[in-house]
Amino acid sequence: MLPIILLSVFGIALLFLGFAKSKAILLPATLLFIAIAFGASFVDWGKNYMYFNDMLLSTNLSIAFTAIVLLSAFMVVSLSSSFLEDESAQPAEYYAIMLFSLVGAIMMISFENLIMLFVGVEILSVAMYVLTGSDKRNLRSNEAALKYFLMGSFATGIMLFGLALLYGTSGSFVLSDLRSYVNGGVAYGSPLLLYMGLLLLLVGILFKVSAAPFHFWTPDVYEGAPTLFTAFMSTVVKTAGFAALLRLLSFSFTGIYSFWGVILMAVTVITLVVSNFTAVYQSSFKRMMAYSSISHAGYLLIALTAVGQQSKQALVFYSLAYSVATIAAFGVLLVVSRHQSGEGKPTDESYDAFNGLARQNPLLGFIMTVAMLSLAGIPLTAGFWGKFMVFTTAANRGIFWLLVVAVLMSAVSIYYYFRVIIAMYLRDGQTTAIRVAPFYRYVLIAATILTIVLGILPNLVRSLV
Amino acid sequence: MNELLAHFKQLTPTGYLFWILAFVTVLSAIVVVTARNPIHSVLALIATFFCLSGHYVLLNAQFLAAVNIIVYAGAIMVLFLFTIMFLNLRKEDEESKTSLAKIAAVIVGGTLMVLMLGIFKAAQVGSYNAIAFDAKTGLVENLGMVLYGDYLLPFELASVLFLVAMVGAVMLGKREAGDRHF
Repeated sequence: MLPIILLSVFGIALLFLGFAKSKAILLPATLLFIAIAFGASFVDWGKNYMYFNDMLLSTNLSIAFTAIVLLSAFMVVSLSSSFLEDESAQPAEYYAIMLFSLVGAIMMISFENLIMLFVGVEILSVAMYVLTGSDKRNLRSNEAALKYFLMGSFATGIMLFGLALLYGTSGSFVLSDLRSYVNGGVAYGSPLLLYMGLLLLLVGILFKVSAAPFHFWTPDVYEGAPTLFTAFMSTVVKTAGFAALLRLLSFSFTGIYSFWGVILMAVTVITLVVSNFTAVYQSSFKRMMAYSSISHAGYLLIALTAVGQQSKQALVFYSLAYSVATIAAFGVLLVVSRHQSGEGKPTDESYDAFNGLARQNPLLGFIMTVAMLSLAGIPLTAGFWGKFMVFTTAANRGIFWLLVVAVLMSAVSIYYYFRVIIAMYLRDGQTTAIRVAPFYRYVLIAATILTIVLGILPNLVRSLV
Repeated sequence: MNELLAHFKQLTPTGYLFWILAFVTVLSAIVVVTARNPIHSVLALIATFFCLSGHYVLLNAQFLAAVNIIVYAGAIMVLFLFTIMFLNLRKEDEESKTSLAKIAAVIVGGTLMVLMLGIFKAAQVGSYNAIAFDAKTGLVENLGMVLYGDYLLPFELASVLFLVAMVGAVMLGKREAGDRHF
């Protein structure tokens, strides 16, 4: 609750800070605001508080997801120093919209009333539509924003219809009422409207986290959006979406698991197969990362179908590992493509941009390598333990066919992640030494260290939730 | 068919009103989608909004009916009309969808429709107690009590949503020069 209030107020404060002559204050101010919200989110640690007539419930799980989202936002914002060098950019507005979008994300994470879920999804989505189109002169960015906006509003409409049907059958938006309705309601008759409502609601949220039959917007939007906001989208939106799904399914709808479990497993298989095979054929790094984010949604869905404490731990750990590695990878891409445009070359976001990078820039090469290894799930990185925990949830339930598909697909994913590493170390390129601002470098190094530490000591996070 | 006739025979005046309104709503909604001329589409959309307001009145939500007309049929439709006039969409655009996409869309949409119809037919809809029902439920006073009581938090946070939309609209609408690289 506290971070929601703080971030709303800080967002308005940032808009006013934008009037200041010097823009240099904006970046430290935003980082400070997010850090304060991060600290404030732990106030309720260890207590289960219900806020404002059953609107928000703060639990250790919701605090953990909030912390992941705020940490990702902190890292993305700290990579944004290029806003300030750019004359025509409007950093105050970008930062304010990012802070407001975090309000939406936290609402999605800790909602208890479905209205809060809906308002949260909308705040996050509208902010993302705007940030996607923020590079106004770029035709790709405009196209991506419009596409995202139209398809996203359509998905929101479907989701709202689902919410209305759920309300129509159970007469309540509150999760605990829905839970008692589901547990008692299925016994005396089949509440078909409830099934339909849940189905439409799932379609809406699965669209937001870009699971497979609803993923068609993802590559275009991720490619068209400015890289910084792509990093924000692929971490914050995904974590918040999965936290919302976990809360909804593992609490209210466990009674009709036989209904949604099958649907989610089918979606999982489609997501894993489609995304990994399509990613192999991409020549653009950003598009590959888009498909990689779809495939990680698939792995997260496996953990979601296992209801229980283990699946919660797996989701928290996986989200953290995925977010940190993704931000590090996009951070390196950002430096490299800015360096190219600084040298007057056309901005190149294909694999060739990384050719020979590690010769002159061993640090950037190492950071990127660790990020790619973590995303591929190689041991001694956080991604390995994330995948391990997710696969354990499936193995414990005896669903081995799903496990086989997932392991095969993560073997496929090694191919496209290693293409980047091969380009950096084995290909020839003319990339000269790139100057990286100290703070930027510290953040990337911190992300790398976090990935490795979590890869060696996964219980640091696992024991918390 | 006989069931349907029997249903119509025992309808109250409100029931007839509902069926007429429902028919006009669906008809005008179909016109919105199928009309070739965008102006006709918008006019049909206004008709749809008015019919929906009629449904709100039937559901005892008088305030919502009034707000629906003021906000949607009034303000938003004027914006729609302005946009269409500025964009000058007179010329007819050729259909860009391939026949494969059309067939897929029909299959998906048709499946959803059949599913919905079947479910609504089989669903058990909750009942209400007509004697204990408070006729003032939909009036401003009760709505205000609920909005500022139980639903205070989402009501206030909806303002964050509008703030994001406003800031975004101003940001995207501002004129600027040069490109950016981030």
